[in-house]
Amino acid sequence: MWWSRIFESTGWTIPLVFILSAAATAAPQTFNTALPVAEGEFVFREQFLYRKASGDSSPADREVEVLGGISVLGYGVTGDFAAFAVLPYLDKELDLTTTGGARITRSTSGFGDARLFGRYTVYRDDAPGRTFRIAPFAGTEMPTGDDDDSDGQGTLPATLQLGSGSWDPFGGVVMTYQTLDYQIDAQASYKINTEANGFEFGDEAQLDASLQYRLRPRELGPGVPGFLYGVLEGNLRYRGKNEIGGIDDPNSGGTTLFLAPGLQYVTKRWIVEAIVQVPIVQDLNGDALEDDLTVRAGFRFNF
Amino acid sequence: MKAGTKMTAPIHALFVAVAILLAASGTVSADADRAVYVLQADGLACPFCAYGIEKQLGRIDGVEAVSTDIESGTVTVTMRPGGSLTEDRAKEAVDRAGFTMRGFKRKGD
Repeated sequence: MWWSRIFESTGWTIPLVFILSAAATAAPQTFNTALPVAEGEFVFREQFLYRKASGDSSPADREVEVLGGISVLGYGVTGDFAAFAVLPYLDKELDLTTTGGARITRSTSGFGDARLFGRYTVYRDDAPGRTFRIAPFAGTEMPTGDDDDSDGQGTLPATLQLGSGSWDPFGGVVMTYQTLDYQIDAQASYKINTEANGFEFGDEAQLDASLQYRLRPRELGPGVPGFLYGVLEGNLRYRGKNEIGGIDDPNSGGTTLFLAPGLQYVTKRWIVEAIVQVPIVQDLNGDALEDDLTVRAGFRFNF
Repeated sequence: MKAGTKMTAPIHALFVAVAILLAASGTVSADADRAVYVLQADGLACPFCAYGIEKQLGRIDGVEAVSTDIESGTVTVTMRPGGSLTEDRAKEAVDRAGFTMRGFKRKGD
């Protein structure tokens, strides 16, 4: 019985790790920002990702690893409205022990579900050397990733597929307070996951916060020097239970709090950055897999 | 050959002197013709955002160079000889970059 269940659910929703970590301006690394994209301008971001989850107490002893590259293109429609497109490329691997005691690996790789969303600045308070902005955003995740991939064992479980097969709307609001010395961002978001192929991922709610503090240069000189920021981000993520054939999967969903220290170097044309997300609190349902850590590193540039 | 060398040396020196004078005269004239404006861009607090402002201002006809001083939040716009910039046009460009222009003045005024 557990054998079929684990093939249906890893209890760990891989495609959803990208939720709204799509900021392309100087911003937090695990979620968005309210800072602008200039009208008629593009910004591009590439974020490389490694994520590992394990801690399965069932006999299957599942472990999941994901390597990915997330490409983000932002375009300033006006000074206040920006549109973003996100396309992940993923390499996913699930290790588990079968009922016969054999340790097997199931894997897939390719493009995942793309996202399109818009963000509009509804409030802006600019002063010399600082800004405060509030910007709601909304969009959808499109079923561009393969959702019926299979291997020698048969069709891969829904949570291991590259795509969900469903159209999933999401929205939220992000706030940014930025000065020359530091930057604070906060975001609340919600994603409604819909059914496809008899499977429905649980809805997701997330609260994020970020503090960036300028470490270098200590004193600003003339012109526009590069800024080295120390970064500390927090993510509180809640996921509802997945549904298989309209029935809740008791071994999925739950709440996780991540803390993420990182570094970011920002110039006029480009940014390089890296951050490590470590789970501090995990309150998960049943045998849902626990996050071990997530490492993100990448770059952004204006063009 | 020796006579030829003696003949060309003073002419060469004369050409160099004339060239230096012409160049100096041209530089003074060009500087005088170039209008320079200083804008105060409110909300500018990180290097990545400065690029958007510079690009928007750089698209304006007649703009030769744009430079930013992030600590003071000022953006200096240098026009080509004979070019000028209106406050409305500068404000529009800064707004398109997503920021707020508070001050605008022509350098030297």
